[in-house]
Amino acid sequence: MTTRREVLQGLIVSIGGATALTACGGVANVLSTRPGSAARFYTSEEYALVTRISDLIIPRTETPGAVDANVPGYMDGLMTDWANNKTKNAHRTALRQIKVELDQRAGGNFLDASDSAAEQSLVSFDAAAFAEDGDTSGYKRVKGYVSQSYFATEDGATEELKWVAFPGRWDPSVEI
Amino acid sequence: MADFDAIVVGSGMSGGMSAKELTERGLKVLVLERGPEIIPERDYVDNLAPWESPNLDNVAQDEIAERYPKQYGGVAYAIKESNKNFWVRDDEHPYEEAEGTSYDWLRGYHTGGRSIMWSRQVYRLSNLDFNANKTDGYGIDWPIRYEELEPWYEKVETFIGIAGSAEGLPQLPDSVFQPAFELTDAEKALKAKVETTFPERNVIAARVAHLTDATEEQQSLGRSNCQVRNRCHFGCSFKAYFSSLNATLPAAERTGNLTMVHNAIVSSIEYDAETNRVTGVRIVDAETNEKRLYTSKVIFLNASTIASAMILLQSKSVAFPTGLVNRSDQVGRNLMDHVSGAGAAGLISGFDNQKVFGRRPSGGIYIPRYANLNGQDKPYLRGFGFQGGSSPLGNAGGRIAGIGRGFKEAHKNPGPWRVNIGAFGEQLPNPENRVTLHSSKRDRWGNPLALFHVTYSDNEHTMLEEASKDAVAMLEAAGCTDITANDVSLTKPGNRIHEMGSARMGHDPANSVLNSWCQAHDVPNLFITDGSFMTSAACQNPSLTYMAFSARAAHYAADLIADGTL
Repeated sequence: MTTRREVLQGLIVSIGGATALTACGGVANVLSTRPGSAARFYTSEEYALVTRISDLIIPRTETPGAVDANVPGYMDGLMTDWANNKTKNAHRTALRQIKVELDQRAGGNFLDASDSAAEQSLVSFDAAAFAEDGDTSGYKRVKGYVSQSYFATEDGATEELKWVAFPGRWDPSVEI
Repeated sequence: MADFDAIVVGSGMSGGMSAKELTERGLKVLVLERGPEIIPERDYVDNLAPWESPNLDNVAQDEIAERYPKQYGGVAYAIKESNKNFWVRDDEHPYEEAEGTSYDWLRGYHTGGRSIMWSRQVYRLSNLDFNANKTDGYGIDWPIRYEELEPWYEKVETFIGIAGSAEGLPQLPDSVFQPAFELTDAEKALKAKVETTFPERNVIAARVAHLTDATEEQQSLGRSNCQVRNRCHFGCSFKAYFSSLNATLPAAERTGNLTMVHNAIVSSIEYDAETNRVTGVRIVDAETNEKRLYTSKVIFLNASTIASAMILLQSKSVAFPTGLVNRSDQVGRNLMDHVSGAGAAGLISGFDNQKVFGRRPSGGIYIPRYANLNGQDKPYLRGFGFQGGSSPLGNAGGRIAGIGRGFKEAHKNPGPWRVNIGAFGEQLPNPENRVTLHSSKRDRWGNPLALFHVTYSDNEHTMLEEASKDAVAMLEAAGCTDITANDVSLTKPGNRIHEMGSARMGHDPANSVLNSWCQAHDVPNLFITDGSFMTSAACQNPSLTYMAFSARAAHYAADLIADGTL
């Protein structure tokens, strides 16, 4: 398996940000400073944010993570090709609010935070969003896009979920 | 000399069966389909993996608003980017609703019609249903009883293949079954509790038109057992679920007696007053606008309940100034559907250490009608059945808290088990519920638009309110928690896609269009065997009944041709 940095580098190349490769010292930093993003919908900062939180929500474990599976690219396509203007605007607004919340928790630019600080910020924010009436930013929907996109990719479906194309039989009672 | 022995208008659920039976009797049959040809090997998309369909296989939101507002609004669960071509575009196929009413006319125009998009639940009617109108006085009496139809149910079921379990219920006669999809343990627990608490109620396996033990005949048509993928709305390369495209049309084709013409939109039926016979069908080609006439000895209308009524209404003559075989003024009236919008869902505990293997198609359980079985004992007439099931809720979609490894791996856990049941109720026949031809608006082929005027009666509202309470009571009896039952909100007429009644059968030509053979009272060589003939709606999914009547009518017509009557 390629390393996460290699995947991120590949992603950056694929979206036309080759000049940013020299800045691959820190994942968050690279993405937050990536110039000339070729994402079709996201601004470079939005793309960096989506990439960072996707990676934290579904990290690489023994199986590929959200970034390995190109979830940010998937979501960029979703917003470009599927969403109407209302959905696009709502998504941008949500990302803006999420960024504000995460910046506050990180005590600065979330995208520049260390891995552990970024993770702690999102853990805290996620918990608040899942408290009753706590999701004022639209975070849950963004998280839904991340997880739905991930499990719709070949990596997510086959490596993580062990999705079977042709079950061939019905067993209504399988002990876990 | 007629071009064909028989013309069948429509290639869907009932048209396919009409064509099969007529061709197998040796008749030369022309099937006219208004839509384009679907070739399974080319057009089914059931083998696409999730990652081969971009954007979660969602249709773009702007495209939904522009092209599919009605269709998607009615069946969002079934319309995806990869299979959207199975559904009509509303901008190309508009219709009108009378002020203050609304109607979901949900459909697809192509080989096989809606039989390739249906939900595949199949249940026989019983004498409870055939006696219903006579008993309570709504509508007119059916001119037939169950015993006359039973052998035709058997014949059709043996051919199409139904997974289900024999239960011996008088209100829901058993079919010819292949093995059922076994209930989950949670469903078995629900069944035990409900049947103990409410002895008159039964929780049984859904009866579904999927092969689970394909017969030699079915295999000879290239059909094989269900692979349990739940990809039915995308077609089925295994031809495991019944559709006319998967089964009846290939059976008709192999007789050598079938001619099929696509893109043929019927504009009217020709009638000869001298002989009192219909003689042919006028069509306009959907692609070229070319107009053609096909002639035959008999005509079977299987265009669908609404389209068949419209064709009759469009076929005016001196003898039938208000539309062919419409002396009773019943063509287009008594339009019925089933009504939903009441049900309940809840969590059921005790199964957290279980999951399922396979993706069961077509639901899990059915709770047959239990209301008013032995006389009138409810505050509403007739009754309803519940469709539903219990399966792990799953965690997909970011519904759970947390990030990182824990969140990721939680998706592999089935999560809590959820039960849901939803009512399908009987709509009473009402002559004021009708489809007519719009007085001025026409489609791009010059045919009048459909104008719907359908509303529910108090009975449907009362029934669904009671169904909602019953649903909650059953889930409570099963020990469910977190039970939710949304406010009862009746589905739009048409939304269940069980249109019926627009050319009802009856004893008396003065108040009905067809006799018990689905043969027009007024014109003996015209048969209508789609949902139009239904004199009442019952509460069971009706496709099986359409097919049984189609087979019966086809053999009757073949007999009449053989003995020189037609």
